[in-house]
Amino acid sequence: MTRLLDAFITGAGAFLPGPPVPSDEMENYLGRIGGRDSPLGRRALRWSGVRTRHYAIRPGAGPTHSNAEMCAKAVSAALEDAGLERSQLSFLAAATTQGDFLVPGHAAAVHGALGGGPLEIASFQSVCGSSLMAAKSAWLAVRTREHAAAAACAGEFSSRWFQPTFYEGTALVDAKGRLQAEADYLRFTLSDGAGAVVMEPRPRPGTLGLKVEFIDLVSLAHQYDPCMWAGATKEARGDAFGSWSHAGPPAAHATGAMALLQDFDLLKRVIRAWIGVYLRKVDEGRIRPAAIDHLLCHYSARSLREEIVALLDRTNGMIPEEKWFSNLSTVGNVGAASIWIMLAEFLRSGRLRPGQKVLCIVPESGRAFVGFMQLEATA
Amino acid sequence: MNGHGVPDVLRRLAIVFTEFEGRLEATPLIRKLTRGRFGLQDYQVFLVNLRQQVKDGAAWMSRAASNVDEEHLELRSILMRHAVAEHRDFRLLESDYVATGGALADIREAEKNVGSEALSAWMFHQASQPNPFGLLGAMWIIEGLGSIKAAEWGALVRDRLKLSDDAVRFLLYHGKNDTEHIGAFENMLELVLPDAAVAARIVKTAQVTARLYALQIEEIAT
Repeated sequence: MTRLLDAFITGAGAFLPGPPVPSDEMENYLGRIGGRDSPLGRRALRWSGVRTRHYAIRPGAGPTHSNAEMCAKAVSAALEDAGLERSQLSFLAAATTQGDFLVPGHAAAVHGALGGGPLEIASFQSVCGSSLMAAKSAWLAVRTREHAAAAACAGEFSSRWFQPTFYEGTALVDAKGRLQAEADYLRFTLSDGAGAVVMEPRPRPGTLGLKVEFIDLVSLAHQYDPCMWAGATKEARGDAFGSWSHAGPPAAHATGAMALLQDFDLLKRVIRAWIGVYLRKVDEGRIRPAAIDHLLCHYSARSLREEIVALLDRTNGMIPEEKWFSNLSTVGNVGAASIWIMLAEFLRSGRLRPGQKVLCIVPESGRAFVGFMQLEATA
Repeated sequence: MNGHGVPDVLRRLAIVFTEFEGRLEATPLIRKLTRGRFGLQDYQVFLVNLRQQVKDGAAWMSRAASNVDEEHLELRSILMRHAVAEHRDFRLLESDYVATGGALADIREAEKNVGSEALSAWMFHQASQPNPFGLLGAMWIIEGLGSIKAAEWGALVRDRLKLSDDAVRFLLYHGKNDTEHIGAFENMLELVLPDAAVAARIVKTAQVTARLYALQIEEIAT
């Protein structure tokens, strides 16, 4: 049997639309439900710690970029970073929570926006974790010699579905005009942008190599109901026949099923499930916390509750907070794109030294999923 | 990691507990609760089924204490104090049942379900061994249920069924002292670890207890 090749990240790129938007201007972009300020916004912001974010919308002037265009710009930036031409790219895996269209897949839209010649493509739709699903596909494409240059990109255009029309006149808004917390919280949590990486079977000459050691993806959907979802009401989310497509678009909209929703009670249990998966990786020796030099986690250390940190400390599972690198507070939580936007900034920060290990963790509350990617810097 | 010190055992126990939580999440009764389809009758059946095994808790713990040798008197003291603290808890459960409109005789006279029978038999069998340190793993599961799951379930039950606190006391009363619980448990582990055989036994006992506890919940016909 032919041995698998190693695969290296040779370029990383990000695209953030428009200017950084401070917290007190968010609702100018997202709109106000029933014309009123959200009572929840400030609390959600305190919890996430995000100070500025970006939107692919101008207040009162419509969109500036599509999801696919943002992804194409991120792929171009990653190719530029790798020193490759578009013509040298032969495989593109694209990830998103919701693309610009229901059909066809997001990768087709990104390829359309990117242009150039024919490509092999693969579309991955989930939530934050779709980024690593696409990365695994690109990684294996390189390792198996199917492609000599593969890109994985992820983009989000969350602000579209946070507009008032998604909520007004639906069951999500009560008689006093207040939007349910399950919906409003996410409006103050997620924002827009895209990120991408390029992988090749050898490091870019003259630079620090970044070998992908493993990408492990674990879904616990067999046990947990959807925790962050769109397309069903909270009550119907466990029942596929209760989804929007069975009710039909107008009826589904009236129930609030078209909005993106989060179940906070379930989220607490899902966080423990993520910790369990992580500790199993530690126990099996797959992840060695003491050997990790940099942790890029799509979740901020400060939002982990005290008892979770205590548990990680007491089980030798904690990676000290000074090893965590994050730009969540300045670029916002960009869903699937976040990990690539974080990695691109990390690689430019000059912190990485030969021989060091980087662990990327992407938990996804969608339906209890978590992904891990470990990188090693080679001289 | 192959260690058998306190952090290693605590890590494996945390894994067993989170996997146990996932299994509970997928049981028909808890699905009903989390999907908002849980009625008063479901709650009453839940209490009736829990009560029979909760009543045994202090009994197996006392038996376990009586089998701890003089080298481990501190652990024996802790087990005895635990047994005293909890041996009337099933009365609380009975009064919750009565507060929902159930008849006291019905909850007292009900049989253990298949899972409760298996769980109880397993606990008493373990408690009857000399120095039954594996039971620390069982305590981790059962105390974890008390400090983590009971409060969540209690709040869901109360809110969904619009019950007053005095009908959900057993579940709500247990849901306190989360962080303290880990610290106290760590102290207990330090009395018997590091020891490879004991470490393995604690983890295995936690696994069996978690599986049988989940069986008890699966067996609740709703």
